Amino acid sequence: MRIRAAVSAALASAGILLVGWQSGVHVADTRSAVAAAATGNQASGAGTTDSSGTASSGSAASSGTTDSSGTAGASGGAGAAGAAAKAGGTYDGDVVQTRFGTVQVQITVKAGQITDVTALKLTDAEGRSVQISNYAAPILRSEVLQAQSADVQTVGGATVTSDAYLTSLQAALDAANL
Amino acid sequence: MQQTSEPRLRARTFTCMGTVISLTVSADAHKAPQAAADELEAATAVVERLFTELDSIFSLYRPDSEASRLVRGELALPEASGEMRARYEEAAEWRLLTEGAFTPERPDGALDLSGIVKGHAIREAGMSLLALGMANWCLNAGGDVLVGGSPNPGTDVPWRAGIVDPADRRTLLAGFPLGGAAPCSPVGKTADGGTRVALATSGSAERGDHIWSVTAGTAEFRQVSVAAVDVVTADVLATAIVAGGVPMLNRATAMWDIEALAVRANGELLATGGFRR
Repeated sequence: MRIRAAVSAALASAGILLVGWQSGVHVADTRSAVAAAATGNQASGAGTTDSSGTASSGSAASSGTTDSSGTAGASGGAGAAGAAAKAGGTYDGDVVQTRFGTVQVQITVKAGQITDVTALKLTDAEGRSVQISNYAAPILRSEVLQAQSADVQTVGGATVTSDAYLTSLQAALDAANL
Repeated sequence: MQQTSEPRLRARTFTCMGTVISLTVSADAHKAPQAAADELEAATAVVERLFTELDSIFSLYRPDSEASRLVRGELALPEASGEMRARYEEAAEWRLLTEGAFTPERPDGALDLSGIVKGHAIREAGMSLLALGMANWCLNAGGDVLVGGSPNPGTDVPWRAGIVDPADRRTLLAGFPLGGAAPCSPVGKTADGGTRVALATSGSAERGDHIWSVTAGTAEFRQVSVAAVDVVTADVLATAIVAGGVPMLNRATAMWDIEALAVRANGELLATGGFRR
């Protein structure tokens, strides 16, 4: 029961977290998302309030939202996930419509702990998928924006001394434009 | 946005703060060549005076600077000039925002605002250029870049900046488009990089970057470049990421509207979407 409550709460807070990032202070608009992420279980209602308070500590508006989630009631999908979560695994939340687009999250559970939260669906009002995180990911050299020294107008780099400048690419550019 | 011809650029340089500052402007077809040349000379003089004045206050290489007197304990911060206190306040705020990865103090506790002064000088210079009525320019101070407008006046073609490969400084690792958006368009549009006007790069093995690793031992990143809508943010965050490693990189990309390209010590790259081709 405790684990189930924790998982349900975590599912709800994951939803709140994602929607909270998108919605900012638009409390009313996040209600449906929170409701869908919460379960019908009374214990989870309490759990939701606690965990979301920490999960979305950056925004006072989001914690206000959680109060309504406790009373707004619930959907079935997440509840089933909560029951099965004792064994661990991945669980998809409901697809939720918000004024900012469609949101669906997936959580990975191990031993009653959420180890990962992924956004399965995240689209803006025009239905394009959007990037909410600007995470810097590993990239191959061939994948970065390319530039040839003949093709740039300025050169960035860690600070060069006035001596090192003399042999720098920037010096060559400056000389060409003198 | 195909260019029909190479833009005609003019550049002037001067030495300050231990490095070389380059001001490049695009030649305006509507201006007489001599008038354009005079305008560039005048603008360079304004920028140079601004850099020189700030250097005379903040340089720790000048024994007579206000900063040196502070370090020697001959002057206390509350009695320091307004300029000094303003930069200290700004740096202290960045220390909070970066959870200490950026700091205005050396490991020995001495005050060192070098990490913010160059960015501040570039920012002030940019404002002076705009105040002079100059719309299309590129200011490069020792590898940190701020641009206005476009290299092709009257278009929204961005300036093309290259980023040096720290393993071979004669080659470029990547490129990034700076500025170029029409003046009325919203700044910080998004990840396409078109409206970001500042690009700053910090390295872990460079003189003058004043980076002390937060994590003990060798720095995780050899070089970090950050593009942002303002040059101080770009400069401070590049410095903070070199000092704070991957955790600071993730924090910076989550909290600020920036693009980042980080080169690990082994040469591997980490990049946000805006640096992808």
